[in-house]
Amino acid sequence: MSRPKLYGLMAEFDSPDALLAAAHKATAAGYRRMDAYSPMPIEELAEAVGFHHTSLPLVVLCGGILGGITGFGMQYYGSVFTFSQNVAGKPLNSWPAFIPITFELTVLFAALTCVFGMLAMNGLPTPYHPVFNVPNFALASRDKFFLCIKARDPKFDARATREFLQGLGPIEVSNVEA
Amino acid sequence: MSLSDLPDVQLEQAQKPALIVGVGAAVLLVAMAFVGADRDQFFRSYLYGYVFWLAFPLGSLALLMLHHLTGGGWGFVIRRLCEAGARTFALMAVLFLPLAVGISRLYPWTRAGWAEEAAKHAPFKATYLSQPFFFTRAVIYFVVWIGLGYLLSKWSMEEDQTGDPGMHNRMEALSAPGLILYGLTATFAVIDWVMSVDPDWMSTMYGLIFVVVHVFTAMAFLIFMASRFADHEPLAKVATPSRFHDLGTLLFAFTMLWAYLAFSQFLIIWAGNLKAEITWYVHRGLGEWSWVAGLLLLFHFFVPFFILLNRPIKRRKQLMAKVALVLIVVSALDVFWIITPSFFPAPTIHLSDVLAVAAIGGLWLWAFAKQAQGRPLVPLHDPRMEEAVEHGA
Amino acid sequence: MSAEHSAPIIEPGQTFATVTDRISAIVLTQKTGRGWWLGFGIAFSLLMLFNLAITWLFAWGVGIWGINVPVGWGFAIINFVWWVGIGHAGTLISAILLLLRQKWRTSINRFAEAMTIFAVACAGTFPLLHMGRPWLFYWLTPYPNTMFTWPQFRSPLVWDVFAVSTYATVSLLFWFVGMIPDLATLRDRARNLIGQKFYGFLAMGWRGSAVHWHRYETASLLLAGLATPLVLSVHTVVSFDFAIGIIPGWHTTIFPPYFVAGAIYSGFAMVMTLAIPLRKYYRLEDFVTMRHLDNMAKVMLATGLIVAYGYMMETFSAFYSGDLYERFMVLNRWTGPYWPFYWSLIACNIAIPQVLWSRKARSNVTLLFVISLVVNTGMWLERFIIVVTSLHRDFLPSSWGMYWPTRWHIYTYVGTLGLFFTLFFLFIRFLPVIAISEMRGLVKEEAGGGK
Repeated sequence: MSRPKLYGLMAEFDSPDALLAAAHKATAAGYRRMDAYSPMPIEELAEAVGFHHTSLPLVVLCGGILGGITGFGMQYYGSVFTFSQNVAGKPLNSWPAFIPITFELTVLFAALTCVFGMLAMNGLPTPYHPVFNVPNFALASRDKFFLCIKARDPKFDARATREFLQGLGPIEVSNVEA
Repeated sequence: MSLSDLPDVQLEQAQKPALIVGVGAAVLLVAMAFVGADRDQFFRSYLYGYVFWLAFPLGSLALLMLHHLTGGGWGFVIRRLCEAGARTFALMAVLFLPLAVGISRLYPWTRAGWAEEAAKHAPFKATYLSQPFFFTRAVIYFVVWIGLGYLLSKWSMEEDQTGDPGMHNRMEALSAPGLILYGLTATFAVIDWVMSVDPDWMSTMYGLIFVVVHVFTAMAFLIFMASRFADHEPLAKVATPSRFHDLGTLLFAFTMLWAYLAFSQFLIIWAGNLKAEITWYVHRGLGEWSWVAGLLLLFHFFVPFFILLNRPIKRRKQLMAKVALVLIVVSALDVFWIITPSFFPAPTIHLSDVLAVAAIGGLWLWAFAKQAQGRPLVPLHDPRMEEAVEHGA
Repeated sequence: MSAEHSAPIIEPGQTFATVTDRISAIVLTQKTGRGWWLGFGIAFSLLMLFNLAITWLFAWGVGIWGINVPVGWGFAIINFVWWVGIGHAGTLISAILLLLRQKWRTSINRFAEAMTIFAVACAGTFPLLHMGRPWLFYWLTPYPNTMFTWPQFRSPLVWDVFAVSTYATVSLLFWFVGMIPDLATLRDRARNLIGQKFYGFLAMGWRGSAVHWHRYETASLLLAGLATPLVLSVHTVVSFDFAIGIIPGWHTTIFPPYFVAGAIYSGFAMVMTLAIPLRKYYRLEDFVTMRHLDNMAKVMLATGLIVAYGYMMETFSAFYSGDLYERFMVLNRWTGPYWPFYWSLIACNIAIPQVLWSRKARSNVTLLFVISLVVNTGMWLERFIIVVTSLHRDFLPSSWGMYWPTRWHIYTYVGTLGLFFTLFFLFIRFLPVIAISEMRGLVKEEAGGGK
């Protein structure tokens, strides 16, 4: 598979509202493969570029349940089967005493799942990404807002798309080299 | 939407059945005590019914003051209902009278010779659990509760009428010391009325557990009521799905808090395993009552935990109303599990327990419905309302 | 809320660019000030004192701390609880206030979280050192071993290992995740290669994609939801260290909530202690406004009152139960050999902070700073009272004893202050002290007028 020389076209805006409006218009114009970049989260922007649902909460819930089972299971196994000691006359299965660690491991597993799940779904770390080839893109972490329509988009056409983006009132439209 | 749907009309219509149930159950309850001649059981059941229903006005009062202090948008949905609940303390004071009559049947420390015996090893307790001091404290509690409910309602009404922003500051200024007073009175009221049924037993967490019972029960009730009126202006303006979400989250937090406090108390006493303390749980957690404890674990923690974790459920008021109703019943079971095992080592439920809950509940709901009428369901001139409406949308 | 609440949480006139430049400048372009070097120098010297103290400890053993039967838990446990408690405000500010959608947290959450991590690091050293043979610490963890032994899971000390290590891990993750977008900002704005590589490596290629932001925000909320019960559980488990035993003064059911409230109390005091000089020195008054200080003072007042409730219930129960040992414990605190500590504790934790009821007091920065120090002291005294006065009068009068810390014990304690402030000074020099991306969000909201 040959890689397209052009990753996409990038339009630069100077306000979150302009970016949001642009993303809506691009969707309306039939573009499907695009991404928006902003220095802070903007409500509805993910929906505007066609992303609706993340399964992260469900994954985290599973991580938590696994942690709880691991926590209680470990203590039960250790205290009842392999190292059964009479401590202070307490039963081998001292379940009330096992709750704190069960809880801690639930939280630990859920938190680890949450962070690493989020990073993995986002594909981070990403050592190289084409968008950084746009010189002004450094401002995406300061005060500028970017919309990138990818060359992979079926509707993408270097000239037509550029004209379309120009029509959205950006500061600048630049090529994103792959 | 017809006229008969209006909150005031609905509330007025609810008054009569509530009163009939309340008075009817009360008559039956008293008749049973006289005919069956089981006076002790009458007072035991009455104590249970009273302590359970006291959670509604006390929790409303606490949530009202919490709202005045923190000012979250959620508070505007339930504030008028809280105020109505906080105006029912006079009725609760009257309903306290049967308990005052029955203290010699309920509390072992009223027996002859108990005080002399206690004075030998616990002189403070002998003084604390004496009848004059007990009644003095009860009077103080009711004065504080009636006073707080009265002032907060009055200023809120004046704010509606005059739009004077000073009223808001006054309510906020009263709520900080008010919450302290609430914490102290609620703690010592349950120590006096409930914990001293077992005068040899003591837990320092007891008061806080009841504080959570109060806010949990009241929040469930308020969510239920608010969901019924949420489609009507002016409540509809603030009672948006995201506000119900907030209320549901608070209910969720109280559920967790309940589990946290109940479990911590159990674990500490279980691990210490001292004779003076563990007896309380030998009855409730390890003996024949343990299946009730299991039910509580399931329905007071696991089930609401997984239900209220769901954002979509919390945003739907009709669903939340059903969840809230179930949780009120669960809370009634919780209070039952705290009080009744002191009298019976094995799970026992009397008809009079049910009648007491119905009697006091009917009367309280009647008073609540009466108090909730005649005022707009949201404060009209609260300086924070505008912001709350904007953010709730 | 009333007039004082209308004070802004960010001063007007700030834009996306100014917020970014102002905060990143502290790290990237601003000259390292003399004040920084002075503070860092002092902290670093104390850290060296810490090294000296633990070297001496390893050479001679815990006997040099002056602990002995009946007081086997001296400074080490007092300081452990004190430090863990301080850490809690950081999590509270970043997690609970996020869930409650309290926007004023934005400018203080970053360094409050940093404070949490450094405080937990300091806390963790104490139980390790107190073990006597810290190189065998891994015996506390369940690991496959030739002796087929397991940790004693009925012991709260083992719970503590899990609680504190989970807490340290989750706090670190929370802090780091929160910083990723800001690290990207620093990467993009760093002018030298080392800075670009350093921040670039840590930012992991963050590019502010809308889809990424969406998952990132979900993850932040989930982490906040997890951190909230976690923070309660950690100090609860710490309270179990005491309450599970049957020592009078330790074994009481109010301990979990009262310890948690005390932790938040001392933590907010420490945030205040750090925030007030920081905002002045780096001129961050636009971001850490009077509204923040006012709110923190109110939280301190509220949690302080819960702590007072705990003291009250403890005393009430001692007399109500009539238990001989419980009553003696209370009287011994009031009038026994450690009475000055007890009454100073009441003064610092309960009496003096009542000044915060006054609105005028809450708007006096110097006074707030002083009160924050008083509360930090008071909460330290509380742990001293709990640990020492409960132990030194054993059930049998023949086992009674006294405990006074030795200089090595004091060096270790002061040394952890060095560790804490060294880390903190490095943090304010190399990482963004305020969450830049969240501040941009705040600017957007202010500008958008609630859009």
